[in-house]
Amino acid sequence: MDPKTLVDTSMALGLPAPVWFIELFKWLGFSLHAVPMNLWLAGILVSMILYVRGSPHGRRCNARLMAQMPVIIALGINFGIVPLLFVQVGFAEIFYPATILMAWFWFLVIVLLLPAYYGVYLYAYGLAGQGDAMPRWKRAAGWISALLLLAIGFTFANAMSLMENVKSWPDLWQRHSFNGAALGTALNLTDPRLWPRWLLMFGLALTTTAVWVAVDAAWFARRESPAYRAWATDFSWKLYAIGAVWFAVAGAWYSLGTWTPETRQTMFQSAWAVLTVATAAAPAGVWVLLWLARKREGEIGPGWASLVGLAQFGVLGINAASRQVVQHLEIGPYFDILHQRSETQWAPVAIFLVLFVLALGLVAWMICQVAKLPAKPDAA
Amino acid sequence: MHFPWWHVDYLTAPMLIAVVSVVHVLVAHYAVGGGLFLAVETSYAYRTRNRDYLAYLRRHAKFFVLLTVAFGAITGVGIWWTIGLASPLATRVLIRTFVFAWATEYVFFILEIVSAFIFYHYWGRLPEKVHATIVWIYGISAWASLVIIAAITAFMLDPGKWPADHDFWSAILNRQALPQIISRTGGALLLSSLYVYLHAALTIKDAKLHALIESRSTRPALLGAVLITLGGILWHVLLPPSAQAALYAAPVLNVLMALLFAATGIVFVLLFFGPYRNPGWIYSPGFAAAVLLFGVIGMSTAEFIREAVRKPYICYNVVLGSQMLTDEVARVRRQGFLESGPWTRAFVQTKYPQVMSGDGRIDRARLLALPKTGQVELGGVIFQYHCNDCHAVRQGYSPAGPLVQGWTPAMIRALIRDLDRTRFTMPPWAGTPEEAELLAAYLADVSPPQPAGMLPGDPKTGAR
Repeated sequence: MDPKTLVDTSMALGLPAPVWFIELFKWLGFSLHAVPMNLWLAGILVSMILYVRGSPHGRRCNARLMAQMPVIIALGINFGIVPLLFVQVGFAEIFYPATILMAWFWFLVIVLLLPAYYGVYLYAYGLAGQGDAMPRWKRAAGWISALLLLAIGFTFANAMSLMENVKSWPDLWQRHSFNGAALGTALNLTDPRLWPRWLLMFGLALTTTAVWVAVDAAWFARRESPAYRAWATDFSWKLYAIGAVWFAVAGAWYSLGTWTPETRQTMFQSAWAVLTVATAAAPAGVWVLLWLARKREGEIGPGWASLVGLAQFGVLGINAASRQVVQHLEIGPYFDILHQRSETQWAPVAIFLVLFVLALGLVAWMICQVAKLPAKPDAA
Repeated sequence: MHFPWWHVDYLTAPMLIAVVSVVHVLVAHYAVGGGLFLAVETSYAYRTRNRDYLAYLRRHAKFFVLLTVAFGAITGVGIWWTIGLASPLATRVLIRTFVFAWATEYVFFILEIVSAFIFYHYWGRLPEKVHATIVWIYGISAWASLVIIAAITAFMLDPGKWPADHDFWSAILNRQALPQIISRTGGALLLSSLYVYLHAALTIKDAKLHALIESRSTRPALLGAVLITLGGILWHVLLPPSAQAALYAAPVLNVLMALLFAATGIVFVLLFFGPYRNPGWIYSPGFAAAVLLFGVIGMSTAEFIREAVRKPYICYNVVLGSQMLTDEVARVRRQGFLESGPWTRAFVQTKYPQVMSGDGRIDRARLLALPKTGQVELGGVIFQYHCNDCHAVRQGYSPAGPLVQGWTPAMIRALIRDLDRTRFTMPPWAGTPEEAELLAAYLADVSPPQPAGMLPGDPKTGAR
């Protein structure tokens, strides 16, 4: 069976916006989503390990990260809406079949996210209310949340790789169907891209967590001791090194071991090679910035932390762009968004953009109100 | 048809949407009404310098954030997740049409999240005026997101001129939008008051404070009940004829309508004669829980009715329950149902290559030359893609087998041929006469025999 025949391109609905707009917002949305998503993917696990290792600063870091995590998760879920929306706008023809083939697992994401989120709340409130005297079951909730979020990440890696792996559809469908209808029990486990993709994302998540520890120490830990801030800077640099090495190994496995020859040729030998090199090298730049902060000041200052944070956002953005290009190359033989017809109505686009800007202004105003507040009188 | 169909045994995939949706709306309406309640009441408490009331509102805000920002947000995404799996074509049409409405709704979500967290976490630290402004930002953003999503779901019931002009404004300013905005706003006010009422009954011992909360929370609840009724009447008046007819014709919907009116009426009466006229008269968590339960019943029932009256459409006059666009029916009927869908065609091609012609298309004449088992299996494929949206197979939600129990093959054939005329809540048959034979063979195979022992008839077999 030719897998191409399973991709139905006969619907003449057209796109509601130009292709560049859809691609831009998909990329921007994913880059924004990646920040909080990286923090919950690796941050909770790192934070739980820090607690177990038992150093006072590590435990303080655990408390800080977990107290922030409910807000981080809330923002991450909402930021995730944008890329998912634009994936469905632009790539419905391949996104829906892929997720339907693994429907129960995809549905499970929502089911698992609920206990994962409430587990984080349990841990955070337990820590705030009882500190180290927190009962074991609340402590366990933190570990369970970390594992559930890793499982959710794995499911995402599965769905996104299945979306690109159209040639595996016929076999998965035939093995997991009833009278031609999908049972929703297929997982793309034999796809060689799956594991490096998931591990690559985890490596990236470690680097983002490392940067967040530094940014948090510089910006939000005014009440912590200078010794904690110095520890956080040092830890951030070390964690970033681990994450970057992890990312490099998984990235090499992903690109050299699993890309098709055509994708490899395009990403290594055409003009896109610049993007490939930037994707691979960008984390090293952030690591150097963290190393300089550690060497120069002992503890990182707000200005330098902002620079590091922006640089890490750049790393995530470059990575998202690179993955978007690879996605195009992999699905190109089956589906080509670039030649889709678009019928844009600009008035709703304009209303969205105006409201978006106004909302950003309101968010900035609210954050300014908080930033102006003096430190809590009962602060440590 | 365009996408693989997800077979969910017993329940059917679209019923998963109903389950997730009902769970979500019970929290989502509270997220809107509760936000407005907190905005009005926090401002009131600051104005009247009522410290006890502020302390209660703070406790309520914690419960509110824990429930709405986590459970509400996740189940909201859950609806989207589920519709993409269980109804991909309609989801595609909706997303294609409303992408920027959704993007705008997302902007309001971000405002909701940021304002909710700041409102709760910085309570007592922000200046009063700023604090009250922030909760108003939440309340207005939440209501704005309700307006957008109500207009989108209203489109599914009546897309207005959109099928002709494909214009965004025709779609969003549809005739059902206003009734649904009114009734959902009412639902949000009513339901949130009931949540507050129960929360207060469980957590407050001070009778004076409780009486204040009763009187303050009952007013929006009564207003909500009035808005639900007003919106409901408008909704009914503006329903497309087929939806009105479906409402009257289906016994289950009649029962549910009666239940909806009864639940709303009971809540109104209990609140009016209880906390509104006689604060403190019935002051128990049990009473508060009972009132909330009636509210939940009313809300869930309304959601189910809203979904059910659309049959045979998922989007009225745009997408049919048989997972095809209305303007595709004639072509599919001509071309053949199995041939028209990539997944059905692939099934036939792989499993029964002998029915494929030289040009790679399904030769419909060869379908009936297949052995009986092959015909039944292909009938099963047609059933999955054409019928499983609303019918389970042998058991479960509205199962097809028992629906044709005891029917003769001729009766089943006649049903398939005139599907939409036999029952206007079913989509038109979109296959060839040969495919109708396959489907008839399958339905006969899955239908149980006429129950034995029924008189008048053969006392032994029940046969005529």
